[in-house]
Amino acid sequence: MSYFEFQNAVKLLCGELSLERIANELQHLHAERPLVLSDAVLAKIGTMAAVTDAMVAEGVKPAATFTDIPVDSSLAVVNKIAAFYREQGCDSIVAIGGGSVIDTAKGVRLVLSQDTDDIFSISGLENVSRGKHIPFVVVPTTAGTGSECTGVAVIRNDENGVKMEFLSPFVEPDVAVIDPRMTVGLPPKATASTGMDALCHAVEACTCLQANPLSTAYGTAAIRMIAENLVQATVKGSDKEARFNMALASTMAGIAFSNSMVGAVHAIGHALGGVCHVPHAVAMTILLPHVMRYNLSHAAAGYAALLPWLVGMEKAMSTPAEKQAEAAIDAIETLGRKLNEVCGLPLTLSAAGVSKDDFPKVAEFAVNDGALIVNPRAATEEQVLEILNAAF
Amino acid sequence: MKRFFQKLTVGIVLRVVHAALVELQRQDSRVAREFANMPEGLSYSIHTGHNGPTLHVVWQGGKLRRVRSLDKASCTLHIKSMALAFRLFTGQMGLAQAYAAHAFTMAGEVADVMRLARLVNIVEAYLFPNFINRRIMTDIPKPEVCFLRTYARIGLGFLTCKYRFSK
Repeated sequence: MSYFEFQNAVKLLCGELSLERIANELQHLHAERPLVLSDAVLAKIGTMAAVTDAMVAEGVKPAATFTDIPVDSSLAVVNKIAAFYREQGCDSIVAIGGGSVIDTAKGVRLVLSQDTDDIFSISGLENVSRGKHIPFVVVPTTAGTGSECTGVAVIRNDENGVKMEFLSPFVEPDVAVIDPRMTVGLPPKATASTGMDALCHAVEACTCLQANPLSTAYGTAAIRMIAENLVQATVKGSDKEARFNMALASTMAGIAFSNSMVGAVHAIGHALGGVCHVPHAVAMTILLPHVMRYNLSHAAAGYAALLPWLVGMEKAMSTPAEKQAEAAIDAIETLGRKLNEVCGLPLTLSAAGVSKDDFPKVAEFAVNDGALIVNPRAATEEQVLEILNAAF
Repeated sequence: MKRFFQKLTVGIVLRVVHAALVELQRQDSRVAREFANMPEGLSYSIHTGHNGPTLHVVWQGGKLRRVRSLDKASCTLHIKSMALAFRLFTGQMGLAQAYAAHAFTMAGEVADVMRLARLVNIVEAYLFPNFINRRIMTDIPKPEVCFLRTYARIGLGFLTCKYRFSK
């Protein structure tokens, strides 16, 4: 590659007592009336309250809260929240949740900063200018999406079921809070699938056409941390060190793919989410090895380079060079099987409840997804169908 | 002088790309299928650099019509500089590579850019020799008819003013 761009303007608050510092950060951003965004589950189990209580204790009271954000959020939800923000006279956003909540919050911020009512009117790729600054803090509650550090928001268009990507450096939050308390209560299956989502981000970021030395540095470091910590975080959720390492790995994988994009796993995964409502992280888990095998003829060197980060230097060096790419795919499959054994993580599309009848629609959506353009190997609808059948 | 040459070349290639799409709609089944699935009224504007050549096309009545201007295209691509546009339109850089190098901005739906990318890849497979295509594409679509036939039809089309602006 002869040219690349790299941006990460997010301030990270990492480790113990991070939540207690949010109020101070908001004050520095001149934010006095934050709108807190979260989902109903996090509100019910007290995760949202843990954050807002810490904010109130340090002198910043939320002006309003909105927790009616569905798993696959939509353009309509984004527009509705932007209107609510204006009604309530808010001046900043604090998003507490997983990928859906954070991406929704990014969309809301984009609408507000561009002074529009409809996010659809500003869809595109690096097409908006900075706009009005809306202070924006995110608190991820899963270790997988990396959305806290990415310049992209993925939001569903309910009219046609397509998951739309909004790419702009100006959707990046001001502050992201990586506090292990936020993920300790995550159930094993969610821990496993979101961890595999992070692994997928890192693998695709390191091997897609937009990969660059800086994104690869973040991506490979993330792969090593995931390989060392994901099973432990799944089996023993109370292990704060494993949880924290997974949260950091997810963030690093997010920084990696935000600066080099992803690939066919995400293109097909977005389509599976849009058409069949397969949770994003589950789709990533299932598709990753199958897409890697599809890409093998075009990305063998890239996959081989990941082997030391997946299995350790010693084992990688003892693998013949011509078998290292396949060994990397095998290592990812082995990790998936381990997670399947310990928490029942689905490894096939049939186990995830997908019907083959939906495959043509999924393939049609997948080839229209922007992530496919930088995949190391081009894919037609017919080739996407082959991948789907292999993953069934 | 260099910029003038680049603008001239890019302007000509944009016209040829439009012409190739018009011709391949009848010659190549994949192009025909893409157009058949294209929603009526879908429009593209391509801008190059600062005050560079532009191409505005609308899919209307089963034809890809070239128009003088569009108030707001469904999908607007702006190639960030003339030097980048020159590379893109002279086979020194593929569309995927241009995307990877942040060479353009886009307003509209990503799905419409992907549709255009597939079409442009097929056009390039006809217009450029394979040694160029191997450098700019990960997989080269196989031409369904001889490229000479496509060139001949494009030449004839220009001679008969077939690709002039539609009203």
